[in-house]
Amino acid sequence: MNVETSLEYRNETPRWLGWAVPVLTVLAALTVGALPILLAQTDPITVYLTMFLDPLTSDYRTGQILTRATPLILAGLAVYLPLKAGLWNVGAEGQIYVGGIGAAVVALTVDAGIVVLLPLTLLAGALLGALWGFVPGYLLARWNANEIVTTLMLVFVAQNLNSYMIRSVLPGPSNYPYTETFPDTAVLPPLAESGILSHVHAGVLFVPIAAAAVYVIMDRTAFGFETTVFGSSQAAAEQSGMSRFKIIVVTMTIGGLLAGAAGVSQAAGTGGRLSEAISPGYGFTAIIIALLGRRGVPQVLAAGAFFALIYVGGNAVSTSTGLSTAIIDVVQALIFLFLITGEFFKRFTVDVRVTRDTAEVV
Amino acid sequence: MVVETLASLLGLAVTMGTPLLLAGLGELITQRSGVVNLGIEGIMAVGALVSVMVTLATGSLVVGFIAAVVAGVAISLIHGVLSISLKSDQVISGVMLTLLGTGSATFVGRMYFDGSPRVDTFSNVPIPVLSDVPLVGSAIFSNTAIDYLAFALVPAVWYFLYRSNLGLEIMSVGEDPATADSVGISVSARRYLAVLIGGAFAGAAGAHISLTVAGFWVAASSAGRGWIAFALVIFAQWRPLYILLGAYVFGFIEAMILDGIQEYLTVFADTAAWPVMRTLSDPNFMGMYPYLATIVILTVVGVRARAEESRTAPEALLEPYIREGD
Repeated sequence: MNVETSLEYRNETPRWLGWAVPVLTVLAALTVGALPILLAQTDPITVYLTMFLDPLTSDYRTGQILTRATPLILAGLAVYLPLKAGLWNVGAEGQIYVGGIGAAVVALTVDAGIVVLLPLTLLAGALLGALWGFVPGYLLARWNANEIVTTLMLVFVAQNLNSYMIRSVLPGPSNYPYTETFPDTAVLPPLAESGILSHVHAGVLFVPIAAAAVYVIMDRTAFGFETTVFGSSQAAAEQSGMSRFKIIVVTMTIGGLLAGAAGVSQAAGTGGRLSEAISPGYGFTAIIIALLGRRGVPQVLAAGAFFALIYVGGNAVSTSTGLSTAIIDVVQALIFLFLITGEFFKRFTVDVRVTRDTAEVV
Repeated sequence: MVVETLASLLGLAVTMGTPLLLAGLGELITQRSGVVNLGIEGIMAVGALVSVMVTLATGSLVVGFIAAVVAGVAISLIHGVLSISLKSDQVISGVMLTLLGTGSATFVGRMYFDGSPRVDTFSNVPIPVLSDVPLVGSAIFSNTAIDYLAFALVPAVWYFLYRSNLGLEIMSVGEDPATADSVGISVSARRYLAVLIGGAFAGAAGAHISLTVAGFWVAASSAGRGWIAFALVIFAQWRPLYILLGAYVFGFIEAMILDGIQEYLTVFADTAAWPVMRTLSDPNFMGMYPYLATIVILTVVGVRARAEESRTAPEALLEPYIREGD
């Protein structure tokens, strides 16, 4: 008896798979994630209830979700936009870091009123982020240097640069891994005096602006159309006269700018200073977010909010059960793992044929 | 004094170069088959943890080391299944593996250990005669068995890839999988093998960090070395001998960082060049060098490729293989 399996591309993904995959992905991840939790002799159901419900029960934690969703969504968009052109920006993490550096340099060296200093701080961070996206874009467009490698390398350049700035250029009080606190005139203020919004800084406003901008660029402009065509077939795009150079450089630069804004929001909003721990890997989570949200900007927003919930909930779990916060990474990675597996079933059908060896009749 | 400093730096460069060399050689084999594995950092994290757990449980460094290698193979299998069988995007799968490896190693390690457990380290084995060479001899030829093993693996990997049938088949599926398939070479089988070998090497690299460099387990002890090893393969342009060179160059940079090279340069403090020297020798600033060097190499290669159509990366890198007509 022979078992033969073969793969066939699906011509189109059935509707039900479109929503079933994300749901099943999360369920599968939570099921498998229960194993390490059980190993730690903790009840997984309590852990998950804490993770997903606790953040919604206090003003502080709900505010935290908005605060954390900000860099996640911005970085998610930073991966999403180049992905539309078929490019992998795996360097959003580094662009976040330089965004923070740009903000810190201005905030701590320029002396001006809030009307001047705050916009200048935001601009410096966003522009440095844009530069961190432009360089890999240019190197790819001009010299064919693989963008996956260059964006990734620039993550670690940015992290080391950040440490250098903090330790040697803008040293804070007594060798702590962060700079002096920014002056009030360079800090993103809280949105309200009391309530949930008092725990949320103005950086959260970057999200609707960025989301609307990315949506308009991608879905309402000729450039967005060209980018989408380029993303599905470079050859077709170039044959119809679209500029490969422009598409690559522009999408990568805007990507860098968005992640840079995430860094600004981290430094000038969440931290009020530049810290070595400016991002706990938001730029890498952003890759999952962009993958989950590949269909459009609203999906990116939803995925970003979901991972913000996991971050805040994971911290709540850690405080209440004493489990390591690494549980956040484990759950994230498992969602990631099953997401990739689910993608397979969306793209292919598996055909299993069983045939019996028939005895040859002589 | 200068010679002694240099000698101790060289010794440290070998120690710090070994995990890069091990993981780099493994990634080289993996990429030669057409698969990029960005999960090295995660595999090394698992190897670093498993080696300490097993060494403490069995009392044997060798068993601990082997266990890390086995763990490396096991976790890299996930990347194999995803990127080879399920035709996933290799970048995505690799990033996931790093997240999974570092996350679960930290989670399990913190649960299993109370703090940072100490563990014995491999002792230095001086090579007779060579280690008696003044100054440099004791630094370079008095290292652990793992350092020598990594060194010896360079010609072994070269021979495997360029002279053995299996190695040539691995390279052929990395260059032109369709043709390899048509002459009866199983693309999947060769790629799985290459990914698992890469996992074994990365597991060994993680073990080296725990059992030679550190002597204890702490979360995230690989500290980005997996990414440097990935950079190394591109830096070396997929050639074993250059991996050796690059590993020790990057190891030397790390040695200078750990040794605080800036202190030795303070004799130049009164010269005009000092501000520049101080910046260039700053430990955090130096941390950027391996990555910047890799970007530069990649760009230079791109420039040269335009001029003379040369190519060093495996042709089918990053491309899942799907047989025509399937």
